[in-house]
Amino acid sequence: MAVEARVNPLVPMEGRIVKIIEETPDVKTFHVTTEKGKPFTPMPGQLAMLSLFEVGEAMFSITSQGPEHLEIAIKRVGMLTEALHEAEPGQTVGIRGPYGNGFPLDMFYGKDILFIAGGIGLAPVRSLINYCIEHREKFGHLWIIYGARSPADLCFKQDLFENWPRVENCRVDVTVDKGDEGWKGHEGFVPAFVEKLNPSPEGKVAVTCGPPIMIKFVLQSLEKLGFRDDQIVTTLEMRMKCGIGKCGRCNLGSRYVCLDGPVFTLAQLKEMPNEY
Amino acid sequence: MVKIAKEKLPVLLQAWAAGAMVFVPQEREGTRVFLPWNGEGKLALGEENTLEPPKDLFFPRTETMYRYKVQGQDAEITEVPSFEDKMILVGVRSCDARSFALMDDVFLTKGYVDEFYRRRRENTRVVALACTEAAPTCFCTAFGIDPGRAEGVDVQMRPLDDGYLLEAVTEAGQELLNQAGSLLEEAGKASPPGAALPSLQVDVGGVTEKLQQMFEHPYWTEVSRKCLGCGACTYLCPTCHCFDIQSENLGNTGYKFRCWDSCMFSEYTRMAGGHNPRPSKKERLRNRFLHKLQYFPERYGKFACVGCGRCLDRCPVNVDITRVIREVKEVTL
Repeated sequence: MAVEARVNPLVPMEGRIVKIIEETPDVKTFHVTTEKGKPFTPMPGQLAMLSLFEVGEAMFSITSQGPEHLEIAIKRVGMLTEALHEAEPGQTVGIRGPYGNGFPLDMFYGKDILFIAGGIGLAPVRSLINYCIEHREKFGHLWIIYGARSPADLCFKQDLFENWPRVENCRVDVTVDKGDEGWKGHEGFVPAFVEKLNPSPEGKVAVTCGPPIMIKFVLQSLEKLGFRDDQIVTTLEMRMKCGIGKCGRCNLGSRYVCLDGPVFTLAQLKEMPNEY
Repeated sequence: MVKIAKEKLPVLLQAWAAGAMVFVPQEREGTRVFLPWNGEGKLALGEENTLEPPKDLFFPRTETMYRYKVQGQDAEITEVPSFEDKMILVGVRSCDARSFALMDDVFLTKGYVDEFYRRRRENTRVVALACTEAAPTCFCTAFGIDPGRAEGVDVQMRPLDDGYLLEAVTEAGQELLNQAGSLLEEAGKASPPGAALPSLQVDVGGVTEKLQQMFEHPYWTEVSRKCLGCGACTYLCPTCHCFDIQSENLGNTGYKFRCWDSCMFSEYTRMAGGHNPRPSKKERLRNRFLHKLQYFPERYGKFACVGCGRCLDRCPVNVDITRVIREVKEVTL
């Protein structure tokens, strides 16, 4: 290997998948580590470029981390994610990062936080939820509102039904678009559920992520409930190749989602072209 | 001031080529291209600029990034040897010289340095050539570019009737001239012809501010109607820097490479799962013009156009950025 005085940001580290958790029929969480331990230490909301060398490379949000590994939850939607879903523990992957700005933690310290997520959109939000739990004294009340298409499509069930409800001063509300015989919880879409639960904007910051259509209606619901644009934070996705603001494609106006995002306040988003 | 006789220039190029790869516009298949100088080519340092910009010397069309070997679950990557060759670019026009500065902004600033680009760029000396005549599609002066004196170059050449005036701009440029030794002669009172003044006059004043209010304007539907989405404009543009990253598998080995990409193609922004934030040519053409005239100025403080005129010269349906600038300034909000 050539001796490099500088690190080339476009060349990944060799990593290994050490554990795979099947979250739903089309979502798996991959635990990735390297020979030297955790590939890097991201802040909540930051991203990683993950690759199978012979298939491709794509940007994913990092949903959580341990002392020795990163956790990346991936929905099966295309060629690379299909191949990743077929991988077994022990698989070598390429990994580089961390990328992006992450959640603006300063905005959250001392506040009550309302997390609203749909489907795989819980993945980036979960990194912040876990951070808030680890640094519990720095944050106020935590309220997690989450929805998926069906009970089988709920991601991170252990967190939703066991871990998070046990956290002090934390509330979890779950809905599904359509239940099954065993489902005793709420049925209905996330935005309507949010309006029904009627959280007060007083002293709160809201974080939302999910399918674009859900985000759109959740933002409307939050505005209806009296949340201001600077109280609402969301995280975006775009097609990315380089991850470092050079390859061009993830721009929203003059900002690159890989570098200047993926986290934006609604106030920032309203100043940017509506092209995501 | 020193000068070199026209017939001695190939000798100088040959001398430089002993210690570096010398790229200079040469005639090939009826057009002008930056090619390595091997002592035999036909120099094309006349009035017209090269068909393609020299950006591929710093940012090749395809470039291997690393190699990999896959064996079952195991895989190993090997970095490619870094680019160590020295390059000398001779005959770069003022417009293309400006484009190097814009590429530097993209690849060398804002938190990350692109190592592939840096290695080539740092090992390169640039010898500019002043323009004495403008093509009908030239409009470099719109962006404050002086066709007679390029920015950020090592040596400035100016054509004379029987040779070229040579002026070292940097120390590295002086070293290049020192290598020329007895090939050079004192220029005396030789005065070069005046720099070319483009006939295509474009006033870009206020265009960024106007565009900031035009994202939703119906103008984009109208101007994109005839666009074929062929991408020729981005391919020929000296400031277009978008790239794709792909892999090529050869049995259980392979390599990852990057290659030029174009915002004019639908695949460019299409995400896995099918969602495409720029689904039609209206959004794509709008993004191209806004990138040149609004987004790049907002991000880097400069227009990402150098007025070389290649896109308007070669667009098969005459989409013309100078016309877009004029029309944008005129449309009612």
